[in-house]
Amino acid sequence: MTNDEVERCNLEGRTIVITSGKGGVGKTTATACLGAAIALEGKRVVVIDMDIGLRNLDVVMGLENRIIFNIVDAVKGKCKLKQAAIKDRRIDNLFLIPASQSDNKGVLTPKEMVQFGEELRKQFDFVLMDCPAGIERGFENSVAAADEAIVICTPEVASVRDADRVIGLLYARSITPKLVVNRIVPEMVKRGDMLSHLDMVDVLSVELIGLVPMDDQVVISSNTGIPLVLQKRSRAGEAFQRIAMRLNGMTDLPIEVPQAQGHFWKKIGNKLGIGK
Amino acid sequence: MKKMNQDKTPVRIKGMGNSLCITLDPSQPIDYLQKELHRLFKRMKHLAVNAKVILDVGELEGHEELVEKLGKFLKETFAVGSVSRPPVKQLPSEERRRKQDMECSWGRYHSDVLMLTGRVRAGQKVTAKNHLLILGDVNPGAEVLAGGDIFIMGTLRGTAIAGQPDNEEVIVLALDFQPIQIQIGKIVAAGLPPSPEKLAEFAHVENGTIVVEDYLEADPFGRLPWPQVR
Repeated sequence: MTNDEVERCNLEGRTIVITSGKGGVGKTTATACLGAAIALEGKRVVVIDMDIGLRNLDVVMGLENRIIFNIVDAVKGKCKLKQAAIKDRRIDNLFLIPASQSDNKGVLTPKEMVQFGEELRKQFDFVLMDCPAGIERGFENSVAAADEAIVICTPEVASVRDADRVIGLLYARSITPKLVVNRIVPEMVKRGDMLSHLDMVDVLSVELIGLVPMDDQVVISSNTGIPLVLQKRSRAGEAFQRIAMRLNGMTDLPIEVPQAQGHFWKKIGNKLGIGK
Repeated sequence: MKKMNQDKTPVRIKGMGNSLCITLDPSQPIDYLQKELHRLFKRMKHLAVNAKVILDVGELEGHEELVEKLGKFLKETFAVGSVSRPPVKQLPSEERRRKQDMECSWGRYHSDVLMLTGRVRAGQKVTAKNHLLILGDVNPGAEVLAGGDIFIMGTLRGTAIAGQPDNEEVIVLALDFQPIQIQIGKIVAAGLPPSPEKLAEFAHVENGTIVVEDYLEADPFGRLPWPQVR
């Protein structure tokens, strides 16, 4: 065993589940982005797609053509953990364990996941689990193995409601979740057409660890499979990078509130006191 | 205290505990009253010695002269022990209740109020047999249910159901009142207009409908003259 490996055995990794309750709020994107961003900071990261039967984290990460084994194989002992974890070629230290497309969520049990989580913790610094939408078996499996949670919520009433429910369920399992508000449109917030993150924190009352603005680059990134954090000028990518830094120990990094991007001349006009 | 009946004898005597209670009609001339007293006491001389005598003229105040004079007469003639005015009579029932309350009768009252701290989140349901007090918020999608009143020391954004199954005397109070739905007894109010600002408001039943009012302005219990057990 090399020194590096000895150290890794001694330091247990953190298992974080990324969840939301509601579907389509950006859990998968967030998992992919955070995984890439933490790996870029030099930590050994594995991202796990827990959405068995509807896998798509591999597509978002651009690794779908390299899948041989999946999480069900790894948990059931059909393959070794190393075989199931696909290494990203662009980012060192980033691994993906994909979901099975042919099974359904009942194939895994929370008990099996707890064991699997312990195994993962020994091998990686960060284990990020992409939880499926809903609060059924897929959620239970994901949460069973995790000791931390990030709740993704968009500034919509429905999303806040589901996030609130999920936060309650996480508390019931002794996990104190952290909140990421995704898809903020600062212009709409300014007009009062969108919930502000302050209102959301007011209702959800959990620790906020990041505000992510709406960004068209996200769609491009998921379609091309290029990690968002590798794309320059992506506002969402930058926001996720800052969240990754906060997760990775820089807890006092201030949270930037997305601001409306005014037109260049309008900005100058505002500075000079004209316009509006 | 009732006034004495005019067509009855002007002087009546009655044993009361360890004393003799003499009821007099003060409208009669004093000599006549003295004569009557003399007539009565003469018959029960042996009882009068050292007895406690209470002279009741029908009113708590006034007629001091009459009482003094007759008292002196009784002491001198029949050697009664003491003469006094009647003690302040037993309080009427309401006053008695008030006195009890002022003396903290609630000290022995075991109230069943379910008092919780913290946030009630979506999907959670809190049920109380009687009153419910939450020091915290009730989120949208959460439900709080009580047999009596509901008090939310925080923001009420969820559903509150008070007075179950059929008590319409109860109230639902929140420091910031923005519920999705309110039920009091069997009456339901849905789609209440949101308040423009943070106001301590409460819902109660008035003429068969649920009415929401500013709590401090309406002050529903402030008008009660003394504290009562609810």
